[in-house]
Formats: sequence, C-alpha cells, structure tokens
Amino acid sequence: MSFLELEDVQTYYGESHVLQGVTLDVEEQEIVALIGRNGVGKTTTLRSILQLTPPREGTIRYKGEEIGGKDTHEVSNDGIGWVPEERRMFGYLTVEENIRVAVKPDDDFEAQREYVYSLFPALDEFSEKEARNLSGGQQQMLAIARGMVGQNELLLVDEPSEGLAPMIVDQVVDALETASEDTTMVLVEQNFPLAMELADRFYLIDHGTVVESGSTEGVTADDERIRRYLSA
Amino acid sequence: MSSSDEHWIRSYGRDQFPHVLVVLGFALYPILLGVLNRTPVASEASAFLPGLTFMIIVLYMGLFAISFDFISGYTGYLSFGHAAFYGTGAYFVVLAANGQVPGVPEGMPFMITMFLGATLAFVVALAIGAVSFRLTGVYFAMLTLGFAQVMYEFIRHWGYVSSNPTEGATIPSGADMSIGVPFVDSLNFAVGRLSGDSFENVLGLGIDISATMTSYYALGIVVLLSYFVMQRIIHSPFGKVMIAIRENEERARAVGYNVFWYKMGAFATSAFFAAIAGALFAAYAGGASPDNSFYFLVTADALIMAIIGGIGTLAGPLFGALFHEWFEDILSTESDGLSTYLEQLLPESVLTAEVAGLTINDFIGTFLDGRAPLYLGIIFVLFVLFVPNGLLGSIRDRLGGTVSKRIPAALERYRR
Amino acid sequence: MPIELATEVPLVIETLERLFQPSTIARIIVEGLGKAAVYFVLAVGLTLVFGLMGVLNFTHGAMAMLGAYIGGLVMVLSVSDGTDALVRIALFMVVLAVVFALLTGFGSAFEYSLIRPIYDRTPMYQILLTFGVALILEEVTRIVVLSQGIQPEPPWSGAMGTAPAVFTERYDILGAPIRGLYAFEIVLGIVAVVGVWLFLNRTLYGLYIRAGSEDPEMVEALGIDVRQAFTIVFGLGTGLAGIGGVLLMWDPLWGPSALLAIDVLLYAFVVVIIGGLGSFKGTVVAAILVGIADSFTTWLFATGIVTFTGLPELTIFGLLVIMLIIRPQGLYGVEEVGGH
Repeated sequence: MSFLELEDVQTYYGESHVLQGVTLDVEEQEIVALIGRNGVGKTTTLRSILQLTPPREGTIRYKGEEIGGKDTHEVSNDGIGWVPEERRMFGYLTVEENIRVAVKPDDDFEAQREYVYSLFPALDEFSEKEARNLSGGQQQMLAIARGMVGQNELLLVDEPSEGLAPMIVDQVVDALETASEDTTMVLVEQNFPLAMELADRFYLIDHGTVVESGSTEGVTADDERIRRYLSA
Repeated sequence: MSSSDEHWIRSYGRDQFPHVLVVLGFALYPILLGVLNRTPVASEASAFLPGLTFMIIVLYMGLFAISFDFISGYTGYLSFGHAAFYGTGAYFVVLAANGQVPGVPEGMPFMITMFLGATLAFVVALAIGAVSFRLTGVYFAMLTLGFAQVMYEFIRHWGYVSSNPTEGATIPSGADMSIGVPFVDSLNFAVGRLSGDSFENVLGLGIDISATMTSYYALGIVVLLSYFVMQRIIHSPFGKVMIAIRENEERARAVGYNVFWYKMGAFATSAFFAAIAGALFAAYAGGASPDNSFYFLVTADALIMAIIGGIGTLAGPLFGALFHEWFEDILSTESDGLSTYLEQLLPESVLTAEVAGLTINDFIGTFLDGRAPLYLGIIFVLFVLFVPNGLLGSIRDRLGGTVSKRIPAALERYRR
Repeated sequence: MPIELATEVPLVIETLERLFQPSTIARIIVEGLGKAAVYFVLAVGLTLVFGLMGVLNFTHGAMAMLGAYIGGLVMVLSVSDGTDALVRIALFMVVLAVVFALLTGFGSAFEYSLIRPIYDRTPMYQILLTFGVALILEEVTRIVVLSQGIQPEPPWSGAMGTAPAVFTERYDILGAPIRGLYAFEIVLGIVAVVGVWLFLNRTLYGLYIRAGSEDPEMVEALGIDVRQAFTIVFGLGTGLAGIGGVLLMWDPLWGPSALLAIDVLLYAFVVVIIGGLGSFKGTVVAAILVGIADSFTTWLFATGIVTFTGLPELTIFGLLVIMLIIRPQGLYGVEEVGGH
C-alpha cells in the first residue's frame, strides 16, 4: 500500500475532459515530480487530490483511505497541504495572519510561527506587513510556510519557481528541501532540470494520462522518451 | 429546414407558424371572452380568465419585459434601472399632451410624441451606458439602479410636472391619444381606459367594439411591430454579437468586435422600446406617477415576467406577463376574480363556518384578495430554483431548438 | 447675467453665514452622526455577506423590516404609559438581543436551505432568489400585520410611541435643539462599529472571514469549512439587519412599516457601494459621509434655502452615481472586484 494512490482518475471542467484516467502512486517521504507541457492536467491532478475539482471517475487513496467525495477542508485536515500556483496569498492580511489561517485551531500557533520564522527569517522581519506588499520570492516563501504549519504529511506544490529570479529560485529550492524532510511531496514544475534535481521519481503527463514514469536518476531533457512530450 | 425549391413565402410562413398562432390567439381572445360571456360558464370565464383590462396590461408590460430581456437576457447585463426608460416614455407623452415639452407644440399626434419620447430614452440610455458599461455584473446592475433612483426622486419632487408631483401627472381630457398613421384621421384610433374610441354596430355586423377593445387592438399592433423589430435585431449579425458577449465577452473582444459599442447599441435599443411601452401605458392609463413608472418595483415586475417566461428568449417575457397578469386578475376583485367567484358559489353557511377561529370569508379576504404578489413571489422563487430557464426556455430545451424552428419541423414529420 | 448675480451672491453669502453658526454646525454633525450610526448598522451586514460570499443579498431590507416589527411588537406588549424611561431602554436592549438571535437563526436557515444549492450558478441567480424571498417576506408581513389591525404603511405609530420621553424631547446643544434619540443612536452605532471590528480583527473566526473574502477556495484548502462560514456569516448579516430594524423603530423618519423592505435595501446599497463592497472600513466612512450629506441637505431644505423637497434623497442617490462613475470599486474596495 502506497502513501498516495491515484487509480484511473477522470476529471472534467464542465464538458471538457481534462484528466482521462490518471494512475500514479507516491511512497512516504518521497518527492514525486509531475512534468509535462502546459494544460496537460498537472494542476488538475493536484486539484483532484484536494477535491477542489472532484473527479467523476476513479479512486484516490491517501494512507489507505479513499478520500474521493470528501470536502476539501476534510482532505486538508487529513494532512494534505497545498502550495498553489501563483501563491495565492491573502494580500490584505499580514504575513503573520496568513500563517495564522493555516495553523490548525487546536495546534500551538506560537510554536508553529517560530518554527517557520526560523526557517524563513525574511518572514519574521515582515511579519506585520500585508502580504501583497511582499516580493515574489517572499510570497513564495510564505506560501510554502503556509503549507508547512498545517501538520501536513503530504504537500502538493504547484510551480514554485514560476516567475522568480534564479537566485530566489535557489532559496525556494532550499525551502522545499527543508519542507520535504518531514513530508512527502508531489511537485508540479515547468523547470525540467529543477524538477529532476528535487524529485526522486517523475511522472510525465500528456493529454490527461501518464505516458512515462520512473526514477529521475540520470534523466535529462534530451532523453528521447521525454523530449517528444516536452518540446512543442 | 426548408427545401430550396420551395417558394420562399411558404417557407417563411411556416417558420413564422408559432408567431401566427400567438398573434391569432391574442387577436381572437376578446371575441372568445365575448362569446363565453353569453354561455352558462360566464361566471367561471370571468373568474378564471384574464379580463380585457388585464390583457392590455399584458401588452404594455409584456413589451417592457421584452425590452428588459433584450438587454439583460441577451447580453447578460442586468439592467436594474430599466424603469427609468419606461418612465421617460410615459412622462414624455404626458408632458407633451399638456404642451409642457419645449419645442413640441400642444396637439402633436401621440404617435409622434411616443417616437420622440422613445428617442429621448435612447439618448438617455447612451449617456447612462457610457459610464455604466465600464462596469460589469453586480456593479453594472447597481449603477443603472442608482441612475433610475435619482430620476425617480427627481421626478417625484419636480414641481414642473404638476402641482403634486408625488402623485404624478395626467393627460388633459381633450388630448388626442391615437394610435395609427399620423395626420390621417381615418387611420387613427384613440386609446384610453376612459377616452378611447368605441364603435357600435361595426360594418353593420351587429358587433360593438368598446373603448377597451379599441385600446387592446391598437396597443397590440404597436407591441407586435416592436417585437418583430427586436426579433429581427436578435437574429441579425448584431444580435449574434450580443449573445457572444453574454457567453464570453473576452472572446468576443478577442475576435475583434468593439463590444463596448455593441453593448451601447443594445442598451439604447432596449431603452427605446421600454419607452414605447411606457408611452403606451401612459396613453392608456391617462397619466403616469413616479411609483408606477420610474420606481424600482416596476423594473422588478419586468424581471419577474422575464424569469417566469424565460430570460434570454425574446417572446418569453410576454408569456411571463400573461402569467403575471392572469394571476393578478384572478386574485383581485377588480374584474370578478377568484374570491368573487367563491363568494357567489359557496352558500352563506359555508362562508361563515369557522375553522380554527377563521371563517372561509376571512380566509378569502386574507389569503386571496389582492394577494397576487405573495403567490407570484413564491412562484418566482420556485422558478429561480427549479425552472431557471423559464416557461419558454424550458420548452425550447425540451424541443432542442427555438419553438419557431421546431414546431414546423415536427408538423412536417407528422404530415409524412 | 448681472441681474441674477445681484440676487444669487447675497444668497450664497447668507447661506454660508448661517452655515458657520455653531448651532448649525452642531446640528448638522450630531444629526448626521446619528443618521450615520443607523446607516452603518443597516449596511454592515450586507457588506460582510457580499465580501465573503459575493452574494448581493436583496432580503436585507426585508430582514430589517422583520426586526422593526418584532421589536415593535415586544415593546408594545411590554411597555405601558407609566413605564419608566430606564426600563424602556433596558427592554430595548433585550429586544436587540432577541431580534439579533432570532434573525441570525432565520438567516442561517435561509442560506442553508435555499442559497446553498445555487452557489454554482451565476451571481445573477443569487440576486434573483434573494429578491424573490424579499417579496415573499414583505407580503407575509403585510398579511400578518393587517390581520392584527395595524396598517403596514405609514409606519406603525404604536411601536414608535414606546420611545421614552428623553429621546423624543429636544436638547439644546450649542443653541441647536436636537432630539435626544440622535445621541442614543450615536452610542449604539459606536458599539456596533467596535463590536464588528473586534469580531473581524480579534477573533480567529473573524480572521477566517477576512481571508475568505479574498480567496474562499484557498481558505477551504487550508482546512476551514467555508460553506459553514457562509452560513454563519449570512446569519450574522441578517441578524445585524434585524438590529438595524430595531434601531429604526423609534426613529421618527422611519418606524416599522412594510416600506422598509425596499427603502432600507436601497439605502444600504448606497452606503455599501460608496464604501466599497466588502470593506468594513469603507462602510464606516461611507455611513458617516451619507449621514452628514443627509443632515446637511435636510438643513438646507428646512431653512428654506433650497425649496426642492426631494433634495436629501436625490443627494444620497446622486452620491452613489458619482462614486460609481469616478471610483466604481468604492472608497476602500479592492480594485479587481469591479471586474467581476
């Protein structure tokens, strides 16, 4: 039994059939990358796991339990965190308030806050600042921090390097590596070398199904089985 | 689909078949009422069928609701201040009949003042639209409502209108409110609840046409023409763009349409016909007041009619109006409604029998008399929840196309 | 035109002279703040609900109407001619609590049973649904009120008569005779502003609501039951409308009447849109702005400087239109909201 198992997951946006049977599994403590071109269903896979866009067909098992049909907040409270595309800060809330929303009500807020502030000193410095006034890199740190304070055992991370300067990306990579020490991670990443560097295994998605998978060991973008799906 | 070798008149006629049926239905209705009144079911007929005065309201409120649907149902922009245009049309003809509109001499034919009032509404809509169409959704609805409320408050307190502006203004008794061809007396028919033309023994056939009936037919012709103009626009390339705006405004813009001017055009056109409806109402009612023309609840009535009839189907609101007024009629005592019927039908002993401290009489008085708004509210909510496409829209969904396309096709199938 | 100037200029000077009298300014400010307090309470629930859920709640005015009638009923039944002013005020406070509790429950039940099923449709349907329910509430109220021998309009004088004499009498403030009720309304308004502010900024649930106003899906993904928050906030918004209705019960300009269903709604719209839909701070500022504009134009008319009777109403809706033209998102609204 794997930590997370998707079996023949089919998801629609209205009439458009986005996931046409995705099957994959993730082991505990692994980092698994989902790669593929834009619009092939990577983000939709994450949204399906979270039940934000509930699948019409197929099963999703998390720690052996079927989570299909649950509400998103229940899935979240089962220990699945989300670091969404474009970060989705609460722009008019302060950094500290953003973290406060993510900490579970019965959890020790002070301890959680100190934990992420020690990892991301910049957040400590700007803790009273409204999140919309942070830089892109700082916002990404905050998004990752939000994913880390919710007692999550599985973190779904979507395009963490998007729109960031290379130097900032390094910091984000560090942050993700720190986060992955305690949690299992599913990573959607356009930056292919980065995805291969971070992840243990990958799934290549095209037209809503998994077309390739395997260890990231030694895989490069020149690999024929990868290249024909990634180049446009 | 008509085959190509068929004569175009035949194919056109068949496409228009449902329209012909509806028009015939409306045209023959007064005669049907007259016939029924001489049969044993006369009291049932007057209790359960809408009287002619209510049918006239169906005509002008139907037109107003159609014009509301023209902008709200086809472009998706909810015009919550639509009463402003209805009121503009109504007040324009009333003031013109009193010689109070600068530049419009007293005695100008109603057909012309109606057209001028509608043109004014067209211009007012362009002005309101110019600022409102920068916004969408809830904000557009609120801004149009805001404009309408400003106009309402203004007209309610504007001493120029009459000595008691809160009560509105009336058309002087001598004014000629005729529908027909201007300046050709024989082709004009005065409308009005009290002052309309009536004809006795028409063409020696022994048929009398009352003032109400004259008004009904005269208004009906204007409503019919207005409907067809709007229908042509909806089916023209212009109308296709309106629908494209409703479905996905970004895409419509991306394909290269100047959506702003399409929205302005649609809004102004709908205002034009709203004003026609208002003018017809004022001419028939012999005046207008702020509360029955410019007020928010007038828009609300159009909204209810459009939803019940089917928003986004041009003819739907007319059926919504029919439904609305039919309800108003049977639940009011003005022209022998349900409660009058029950009071006549049930013996005195039943009427005064008490059930839990309430007599049937009390029940009728409390829950039936003039209670149409309550039941219409409930029906409206049920429609919103369960029949969001309205009467005509749902029939259309069932048939898989517009009624005018589908009925002929079905008939064709049966003929073979 | 020189001839007109000869009459216009002295009028302007005279107006300004009269305006800058301490008594005039005191009157405009105190009455304006009293009206502002009422406007705030009437509008704040509407803005909370829109901010979190994006639902423009057309039942808001009808809920205030219910509050006014329920409050009036309790007061009329429990107050007699000899009832002491303090007892009346204490009863009024009890009524506020009772109406708030009743309408919060009613609002939550309404959201849960009727609005929840249609969240997946376009916002227009939520407007239509709440509008239809508002019509029903108004009609039912008319039926019930009539059956008790009370005219649904004009306002129910019996309920208005339960106000203690201290509120109906006028007091001299800097030479201006001002009704005691305005001071009471200002106090209640301040309590309401502070109370709602504390709830939003000092409670965890308030934090969830502020976050949800920005991005409900993200809040849900962080483990918070947003649907439940919708139900609670809709209930609270309705309860606040009810409190607003109770406040109107003693106000000589309003009073319990079926007309409240629409009048309150329209005024609340104005305040909420001027302030920026969904903004608490905006609602406070807009309520003060509208309140002062109202009392200023009322003064202009009362002194005979302007003879146009509809001036206050025209000004208030005029403010709405001007605001939407120059700044559609309102004073403190978030800019993107205007694009929805």
